[in-house]
Amino acid sequence: MAEEKKAPGSRSTVVKKLKATKTVSVYQKEWFFAMKDRVEKEQCDFAILNADVPMEIFRAMDIPFVVNQWWAAICGAKRMTKKYFGLMQANGYRPDLNSYDAQALAESFDPDDHKVDAEGNPMGPWGGLPKPTLCVTRLTGDAQNKIFGLLAENYDAELYTIENTQARMTPLNWYELAPDRWEELYDTDRIDLAVEELKELIRYLEMKTGKMFDMNKLQEVMDLINEQEGWYRKLRDLIAQCHPVPVTVVDTINAVMQAQWQRGTRWAADHAKSLYEEVKALADKGEAAVPNEKLRMMWLGRGMWQDFAFYQRFEEKYGAVFMWSMYLAMGADAYIRNHVEEDPLRALAARFIGMEDFLHMPPWNSSWFLQQARQNDIDGVVYMIPENDMQAVEGSYFIKKVLEDAGIPVLAFHADPVNPRKWNAETMTGLVEDFIEKRVIPSKESKQQK
Amino acid sequence: MSIRDCAMQSKAFAALKDVYDHRDAEAAKWRAAGKKVIGELGCDVPDELIMAGGMLPVQICADPNRPLVETDKYLEYAFDPAVRAQFEKIVDGTYYDQLDALAISNSTDVIIRVFLYLREIHRVEPEKKVPPVAFIDWLFTRHRIHQTRDEFVIELFRQQVEEWAGRSISDEEIRAAARICNENRQALREMAWLRHGAEVRIGGSEALVIIGAGLFMDRAEHTRLVRQVTEDARSWPVLAGPRVFYTGANQEDTVLYEKMEAAGLVVVGEDTDWGDRFYDRDFNLDYPVIRAIVDRYLLREFSAKKSTPAQRKEALDREVDAVNAQGVVFYTNQYDEVATWDMPKQCKSLESRGIKHITFGRMLWPVAKNEDLDDKLAGFAAELKGGVR
Repeated sequence: MAEEKKAPGSRSTVVKKLKATKTVSVYQKEWFFAMKDRVEKEQCDFAILNADVPMEIFRAMDIPFVVNQWWAAICGAKRMTKKYFGLMQANGYRPDLNSYDAQALAESFDPDDHKVDAEGNPMGPWGGLPKPTLCVTRLTGDAQNKIFGLLAENYDAELYTIENTQARMTPLNWYELAPDRWEELYDTDRIDLAVEELKELIRYLEMKTGKMFDMNKLQEVMDLINEQEGWYRKLRDLIAQCHPVPVTVVDTINAVMQAQWQRGTRWAADHAKSLYEEVKALADKGEAAVPNEKLRMMWLGRGMWQDFAFYQRFEEKYGAVFMWSMYLAMGADAYIRNHVEEDPLRALAARFIGMEDFLHMPPWNSSWFLQQARQNDIDGVVYMIPENDMQAVEGSYFIKKVLEDAGIPVLAFHADPVNPRKWNAETMTGLVEDFIEKRVIPSKESKQQK
Repeated sequence: MSIRDCAMQSKAFAALKDVYDHRDAEAAKWRAAGKKVIGELGCDVPDELIMAGGMLPVQICADPNRPLVETDKYLEYAFDPAVRAQFEKIVDGTYYDQLDALAISNSTDVIIRVFLYLREIHRVEPEKKVPPVAFIDWLFTRHRIHQTRDEFVIELFRQQVEEWAGRSISDEEIRAAARICNENRQALREMAWLRHGAEVRIGGSEALVIIGAGLFMDRAEHTRLVRQVTEDARSWPVLAGPRVFYTGANQEDTVLYEKMEAAGLVVVGEDTDWGDRFYDRDFNLDYPVIRAIVDRYLLREFSAKKSTPAQRKEALDREVDAVNAQGVVFYTNQYDEVATWDMPKQCKSLESRGIKHITFGRMLWPVAKNEDLDDKLAGFAAELKGGVR
């Protein structure tokens, strides 16, 4: 996770005020150590899940797990990236391929992962992951079989893969259909298959762990997720209607992303509520994240973990505030599935099969980004296209086209979200400043004149 | 020049080479005769169905000399460069003029993205000259529910082919097409015995031409020519040199193989779709037709794109043993790198069995752009001959 510090030039007064951001940072660490302690004491099964795996099943079955991408962010924040690049190379692997997804794999090569240094500090991130017995991924990209296959081999764990199908039916308003009308959103056969995949996963986990799956427990988990994501929806809508906004992506990304990995728990639902109430109180007081807010910016792409302060570099000079990222908005629009009680497995299937497509498949991503840009009165979009990760290649031409056709300027650039060696803050700041001066400000002025 | 005079003197080989060199010609003849031509992108489009509909399947191929004007507009640079070049011909109108439709199988991530992009181009820029597109959403995990799903997917594709053909297609027509494909595969296997066996009479470049021509012409005619070449090749001189197996990027032309052969290597096999993998596994004529198609395409040897490193390690061991290779050449293009995840374990396994290997990674496309390739190949050949690299 990024450190919570203000960047030079930032006038934000809110960054350090949000209790919810600090709470989640503290909680995730406490949670991790408690979970690790349990796994080590009970010698129970422990799973690494890719982000798009239906974690709800594991939650309902009380099987401890971490999410691969959440752990990658922890590794990044603990400055493990350079060491892990070296470990990948030393073992014959390309360190620059799918680097975001391969952090846990790199860690699995580290002989010092569970050791402490001369001063007694743990050498692995938070003392290292417990040894997993299960590595579970969805085949949403060719590299998934590879990374999780190797991870399973290195840890002598079992590999379990869930297949991925492509949408034939692609109604543009997925964000309207998803909560209640998902049968209209997906091809019926795709949901049918996903339900069968879930049943197979459950049967496998029952055999592997000796635990029985309980449908009532899944329903409880699903209800808690709806509650949590409902608060995110209210929060997203609140921020969208505030001029100026009370918080920026620097506040919301960490507060939401970290809590998302706890979804399906009472804690996460309560945290989402507290986050909303905290921001609502700021909004009610008329507090501005950037008091001279002039330009509302949208961030497309994964979080800039290695340089979170980047988002704040344009506040003082231009009054430009990054106020939208996918992390909060996905919570608001992609997760909620109402009427769970009618068929919890089908509701879950209808959640997980779309998750990658909402973000990475044209036209679903492009149509949603446009709808969100409009709802949030966005003046300009900065779009980071990942390098060397085909899974995140998502039709940047179409995204740019749909936004620019609607009169919203877009700056698209390539970067690696976890590799500081490929990130030049000065160059990127200059690029965004140039974009703001030459595209965003003139576009806004032109709209105002009309 | 690795294609020998003895090969060029064979009328059958010369005919295959002509098709290989002029890949649009047969399709143009078909269309001139009022018949339809279907392009295939990805290596898992069932030819049997397209042929059963009376249409000619042809593989989409790249033009290494064409500027990527349209591609640069639509595709991110992280795409496999060969696919980028293929995409250019799909979007710049070339294939619109040559094909009646395009069938895409989800054989790799990149190709799935190409399908999504083409579908989106049809939606937002309908004036663009892009052929009609159909997608075959195979699942390659070898479980019962995925096999069943694949049968559903292939049934959908059959309906699509019927729509293109303008008529229904009977099971008997599919079986008849499958017989032609099986005979073609058998003919290629018989040809390959002259390459895989102890005495190598057909070189790697020659084999690429013989196999690759089949991607662009009538399959029965291809079979006839392959059989004739096989007969002719029995009297070709035996090739001498270290036997190597090639794994990695598809080679749509013979440039890389010619370089390997110029270095003194004898390429006795490969796992690519423009090589030996093309004729792997038959359509089982005793099965219901849809199941037989799924069986054939799902259960071929593992491709690098849709398998785990452990599966690929075992696959390479099997393939190398089958052709008794002394060395392995790994070759991946920049941005077509998923196979590199398999290589460390593959290399270890080869080393444990005394099989030498050389790896070319992040290679530029086309092959000719790579400057030091010849020296490295020569060094590898020397090492295999007992010298030091």
